[in-house]
Amino acid sequence: MINRNPNSNETLLSIKDLVKTYPNGTQALKEVSFEVRRGEFLVVIGLSGSGKSTLLRCLNRLNDPTSGEITFNGKSTLDLKPAEVRNLRKKVAMIFQHFNLVPRHTVLSNVLMGRLGDTPSLKSLFGMFSAPDYQKAREYLNLVGIAEKEKMRADQLSGGQQQRVAIARALTQQPEILLADEPVASLDPATCHTVMDYLKKVNQELGITIICNLHFLSLVRQYATRVIALKAGEIVFEGSPTEITDDWFARIYGHGAREVHIN
Amino acid sequence: MATAPEKFILIKKGFWGMKASLVKTTFFDGLVLGYLLVVVLIAILHPSDEQMLELSKNTLIFLSCCLVGAGASFLLNFFKLKTLGELIFEDAEAKANLVSESWYKTVWAWELIVFLVTTLIVGVKITQFSVFELMDQQGFQGAIRLFQGLMSPNFDLLPRAVLNIIVTIFMAFMATALAIPIAFVLCFFCAKNIMKTPGAFVIYMGLRTLLNIMRSIEALIWAIIFSVWVGIGPFAGMMALMIHSIASLAKQYSEIVESVNEGPIEGIVSTGANKLQTIWFAIVPQVVLPFISFTVYRWDINIRMATIVGLVGGGGIGTLLIQFQGQAMWPEVGTIILVIAFVVWFMDTASAYLREALK
Repeated sequence: MINRNPNSNETLLSIKDLVKTYPNGTQALKEVSFEVRRGEFLVVIGLSGSGKSTLLRCLNRLNDPTSGEITFNGKSTLDLKPAEVRNLRKKVAMIFQHFNLVPRHTVLSNVLMGRLGDTPSLKSLFGMFSAPDYQKAREYLNLVGIAEKEKMRADQLSGGQQQRVAIARALTQQPEILLADEPVASLDPATCHTVMDYLKKVNQELGITIICNLHFLSLVRQYATRVIALKAGEIVFEGSPTEITDDWFARIYGHGAREVHIN
Repeated sequence: MATAPEKFILIKKGFWGMKASLVKTTFFDGLVLGYLLVVVLIAILHPSDEQMLELSKNTLIFLSCCLVGAGASFLLNFFKLKTLGELIFEDAEAKANLVSESWYKTVWAWELIVFLVTTLIVGVKITQFSVFELMDQQGFQGAIRLFQGLMSPNFDLLPRAVLNIIVTIFMAFMATALAIPIAFVLCFFCAKNIMKTPGAFVIYMGLRTLLNIMRSIEALIWAIIFSVWVGIGPFAGMMALMIHSIASLAKQYSEIVESVNEGPIEGIVSTGANKLQTIWFAIVPQVVLPFISFTVYRWDINIRMATIVGLVGGGGIGTLLIQFQGQAMWPEVGTIILVIAFVVWFMDTASAYLREALK
């Protein structure tokens, strides 16, 4: 079950010498190693193309790493059979920059899709989700504050609302980790904070570990408990958000870069 | 980017280490120039009919001409005179660095002009295009008599025509309805974005090839095959249309599946859903409206094709038409054409409205 103690020191995820080289020769990750403790709000920063998305997508096996090791709850995730990969994905949920909800389906139906991993194929084809599934879906819709929109078509919602539905879908999976790939990059500044606040709530109230890719340092300082910075596929900084000085900022983002504040 | 040079080499290395664009360019120019050379040869040598029928010898001559053309293309491009093939197939890099030059100073423009003019002249010769035939007094009178017959339709035939067109409409309906489930299942197996693994790719290629062959055989040919197989009548016509519809719909459906937004697919895959669930929840909602629209259009096409298929023994109104046409009973033919025109017009309009509403 979910550990509700965010201060535990238990290592949940450990990444060792992770390498990902794309078929066209691009080296997205070069021997990346770090550990994630249960209950953390870990933020990954870096320029576009620095390998942040690839890193996250290796963690739930949307991408297959070229070499290295990933252990989740003490078990390696790189030598799994297809069915075991699906089990891993149930535990390591993900939300995306473009929300990736299913259009023409209602909000509630989208959230219920978080239960697909635990629903037999035939039942799911007829949309037969169990009563506890419905209960969970509504509970999490309530948590992200859009329970009243459950009958609306998902593609009719605003960006911020769609991302909250995506969070609810991810929570319905009952995950231990929530990966967030640029969750606020296509949202306006005000909505940005709403979505980040919900992620914080998920982290603190449900004790779900969060690994989040972000662009804006101001958000990082506000929400992260720990930060990793990637540059050209390598970790160049690891530490607490308060340690990112102007000097570090220049090193991560290149000299001449300027910090943009969004609050 | 440190990896850029590697990428660059990968793209440029094509056929046997040659540039892929060079192969395409030479092949294209070889065909165009070889064809022009053959036309010139025929114009000069005036070969006899017997000589024209010597297929293997003539193929050899054509291929040698193509080889000469390919050589010419290679030389021209070697000396930086851009040919038509090079203009079409050159690298993206070369396309980005476009040199503006007056068109009449370029090789490719003249290659294009000579090709088009030659083809037009050859076309007039081969199709025996003749203004005299069009103006021929006797032939024109015949056409007028036929039109007069068509314009005074014999409405005694109307009940039979109506019954026969109903048969035709149902032939089209059955062909479409039976093709839908088969095409729906097949389309996912011939969509590139679903069949990604090497094993699946073999199925994808095999199925695509099979469907392409099925589609390249016209419904008319299928109707002839089935009229021998199951006997002349609506069943043969329906089977012919169904085979053709399966191939066409599966192709169109799979193209829609290939163009879906990848986002929802990732979203569903990341919940731990299996392949079937991913298709059902992430792809089907995105494709269902275009599928319906294409299906309605296919039914519309099938109604028109059902008439044609009837001409070769597929049953329905087409068979009736060919009977009366064979006896030169033009007023009866006029009635049949009227009924067909009305139904086709009605279905065409209805399907247009339906597809518009489904957008």
